[in-house]
Amino acid sequence: MTAAAILIPLVAAIVAWRLPRRVAAVVALVGTIATFLVATFLAGAPALEIAWLPALGIGFRLDPAGVSSVLILAASLTMIPTVLVAGRHVGERDAPAFLALLLVMQASLNGLFLASDLVLTYVFWEATLIPSLLMLGLFGGDRRRGAVTKYLIYAVSGSFLMLASILALRPLSGAESYAFADLLPATRALDPVTQAWLFAGFAAAFAVKLPLFPLHSWLIDFHRQNHPSGVADVAGTLYKVGGFGFFAWAIPLLPAGAQAFQPWLLTLAAVTAVWGGLAATQQKDLKSLMAYMSLSHMGLVGIGVFSLTAAGMNGAMILLAAQMLSTGGLFLLSGMLHRRRDTFELDAFGGLAKSAPALAAVTLLVLFAAIGVPGLSNFPGEFMSLMGGYAASPWLISFAALGSVVAAGVYGVNTYQRLYQGRAREGTRDLNGLEVLVIAPILAGILWLGLAPAPQIARIDAATVVALELEVDTTGETTGQTPAGAAERLANDQEAIPAPDLALGGEP
Amino acid sequence: MIAPPDGVALLPLAPVLTLLIAASAALLIGVTTGDARNGGALAVLGLLVAALFAGLRLFDAAGGAPVTSFGLQWQVDAPSAGLALTVLIGAFLAVLIGWDALARTGMDRPEYYPLLLLATAGAMTMIHAADFVVLLLGLEILSLSVYALSAWRDGDRQSEEAGLKYFLLGAFASAVLIYGVALVYGATGAFAFTDIAASLGDGPTAPLALLGGVLVLAGLGFKVSFAPFHQWAPDVYTGAPTPVTAFMSVVVKAAAFGALVRVFALAWPQALPELDTLLAALVALTLLVGNFGALLQSGVKRMLAYSAVAHAGYLGLAVLAAGQGMLGQQTVAWYLLAYTVMNAGAFAVLSLVMGDDPRGDRIEAWEGLGTRRPGLAIAMTLFLFSLAGLPPLAGFFGKALAVQAALQAGWTALAVLALITAVVAVVYYLRVVWAMWLTKGGQGTPLRSGAASWAIGLAAAGTVALGLFPSVWYGLLEGVRLVIQAGL
Repeated sequence: MTAAAILIPLVAAIVAWRLPRRVAAVVALVGTIATFLVATFLAGAPALEIAWLPALGIGFRLDPAGVSSVLILAASLTMIPTVLVAGRHVGERDAPAFLALLLVMQASLNGLFLASDLVLTYVFWEATLIPSLLMLGLFGGDRRRGAVTKYLIYAVSGSFLMLASILALRPLSGAESYAFADLLPATRALDPVTQAWLFAGFAAAFAVKLPLFPLHSWLIDFHRQNHPSGVADVAGTLYKVGGFGFFAWAIPLLPAGAQAFQPWLLTLAAVTAVWGGLAATQQKDLKSLMAYMSLSHMGLVGIGVFSLTAAGMNGAMILLAAQMLSTGGLFLLSGMLHRRRDTFELDAFGGLAKSAPALAAVTLLVLFAAIGVPGLSNFPGEFMSLMGGYAASPWLISFAALGSVVAAGVYGVNTYQRLYQGRAREGTRDLNGLEVLVIAPILAGILWLGLAPAPQIARIDAATVVALELEVDTTGETTGQTPAGAAERLANDQEAIPAPDLALGGEP
Repeated sequence: MIAPPDGVALLPLAPVLTLLIAASAALLIGVTTGDARNGGALAVLGLLVAALFAGLRLFDAAGGAPVTSFGLQWQVDAPSAGLALTVLIGAFLAVLIGWDALARTGMDRPEYYPLLLLATAGAMTMIHAADFVVLLLGLEILSLSVYALSAWRDGDRQSEEAGLKYFLLGAFASAVLIYGVALVYGATGAFAFTDIAASLGDGPTAPLALLGGVLVLAGLGFKVSFAPFHQWAPDVYTGAPTPVTAFMSVVVKAAAFGALVRVFALAWPQALPELDTLLAALVALTLLVGNFGALLQSGVKRMLAYSAVAHAGYLGLAVLAAGQGMLGQQTVAWYLLAYTVMNAGAFAVLSLVMGDDPRGDRIEAWEGLGTRRPGLAIAMTLFLFSLAGLPPLAGFFGKALAVQAALQAGWTALAVLALITAVVAVVYYLRVVWAMWLTKGGQGTPLRSGAASWAIGLAAAGTVALGLFPSVWYGLLEGVRLVIQAGL
């Protein structure tokens, strides 16, 4: 059951690779739907453990508990429309390979989320890099070469530093194996200076993939140069797993290291949120705008994670799941717009609401979800992240919240206006049947996470409690950080009140 | 049946004896019939039988005490049996790579395969040596054969230059090594590794033994191509015929590392700490020179030559660990099999892409290979990813094991340096991958060769299998019988 989340897309990829486009599209669609069905049952599935290299304590260990099932659920829901678009709108010759890469990407991502062995995590971490590089390299725009090189150097530099930390972790701590459960007590006992060094290695990899200012510049090129259908961008959006890495591995294993870096990371996350938002208001190109918007969201995820409070960390993970749907949806919509005008220049659009009212309405809804309007997917996560961040550093986060939320309002409304309002130079067609099918799962997901986030947050909370109890144990008495009880109460409040009633978060 | 003299057990010698018999027979058949292929067939047979013997030794050695012969001068334990198997696999792949290429370029003279078998026998002698005299014997058998092979391309200035350069520098390195051995003998009165260790363990380090150790390290450092003794490698690798380069890059390297790790693990374990520091400095330099050198190359064959230097650096990490009583020997043996399959595979693809043009390794020859010959391009991508150390392929676990061994032995800074320079490695390996997949067009038609395709297929299977099931090979080397635990 647990392994099926990895095996199904992998097998579908191998099968689809050499088939003609139509058949490959069907195989890929069946594969993603099956993966989604598996994902819905994942929360209660058993853990899996197979010996791999016992001499080094490396095992093939998967554990679907906690945050992994939530992220896989959101990711596999996003993949269904993505595969639908890829099967239809990528060139005849390229489509099977493109679909296969997408499915490999999904398999490795699911593996990354599920892995409960640190070396296995690293294996999936790198395995995810290759399909995303190939998608950009094989099917990207004219200037993809530079984008590929930049992306590769950023990603690999970070991940090899992480590998150094990973390989040092077991000899230094004396843990029996690389299993999360074995590492946890051993690495926590390391002295704070060692922890800080090891944490720095992890942070190098995760900050690149979060991405955190100033390591974000690969992201903009990545999105600008990727295939105009937006499909590869969705895969890239699912791949923003740095926050997950901090949440699931670096912070629980190395709490003292996390403490040492918290002020820096929190500041960088706040800068990322504001910078991304402000830069998004200045873009003339739809895909760059999306890239900066996504960067701003990742800053909010960072704020939540680095707050080291239960509310913030829970919020960051649910925001990570939510933005898969909202940002992914926006990239798919930008692909639809590109098919209508053959450009991403915002100036080429305008007034489309008259000729394509349904497209306009759908875009507005997804945009609202993305900028954190209450009742839609991103709001609970954004709100909780900022709340957690506020508890950790009130002034900094007030600034970040103000900056990012105001900017979100500006670029959100502005984007809609420039695309759909004003004088239409020429009309366009409205949503066709396929596009309705594409956008329906996204809308369903956005409403689902917006209206009923509580069950998902409860699952995430199980992992947060493990991470934070440790953090409070080791540092509570020395630094007087937020007491665990208070932080959890914050989280519980958040769950008890239905999200729509919290409409006073200063959101537009 | 003639009984062997006292103290000589024939079974541990069986693989080498097989190779010697096969070499003699191949020479006779080759010279009398004048057709190299006959000798080649015999070589394949000899290698397979030798591999069978070596494999049996490996299973026997697993869980058992080391088996010795000639008193203490010849020792088979699990890591050395594994290395012997690795050398045989490497030689076998090199034979396959050369099978069609030699005939095509008129290099199929009957002496080729006998020389290759002799070199392999020398390599196995070095690996099993438990005594400096046997080690030198093996080294000379190996080197003399390879000097001749690297100048095999008749009338080609580059190949002849390679042979001569290798011969002159190699002879010099041998002399340094012999001088070192003599000094060590002067200090300890022993040639056998265990006797040297016993003698060194008694009192304070004698300066004579240390000087001898430094010279031994320099001499072997030349063979494993540690910087700054690596200068010969790029020129010889580029000049020698590609099948010979493939042989050198895997078999010679495996033999030299097998000897080096044994010297550090058995002859002076923890006895000469200054030597460990010196080795660490060489490893650091090798990592930097190998990786940055490869980055600057425009030809793929030359890039692979520098990459061979870089891999010597990663292997050096494990040698350091072995010197401190860690599981370094197993790591070296594991890494070398991984390196053998992925590197021989890369050279096999290279030999087809380069064809008969000695300068056909420019990056342009690789452009668009993904559309022209997708099978070759996929295999090459696999080998390069593995060489770069990306999981879940063989190279990743090789690097992970080596770095882990170094960390356990306390060489933290060196381990971090190894991983930082590995980022550089990713760039130069993936440059070839980009050329194959991201560039359209490109000229030149890669050759087709059934034997080389077999080599590529076997190497690719090995690269993937070692990555997916690393513990099978590691378990054998560790001397633990294979236990499969699966909890579902």
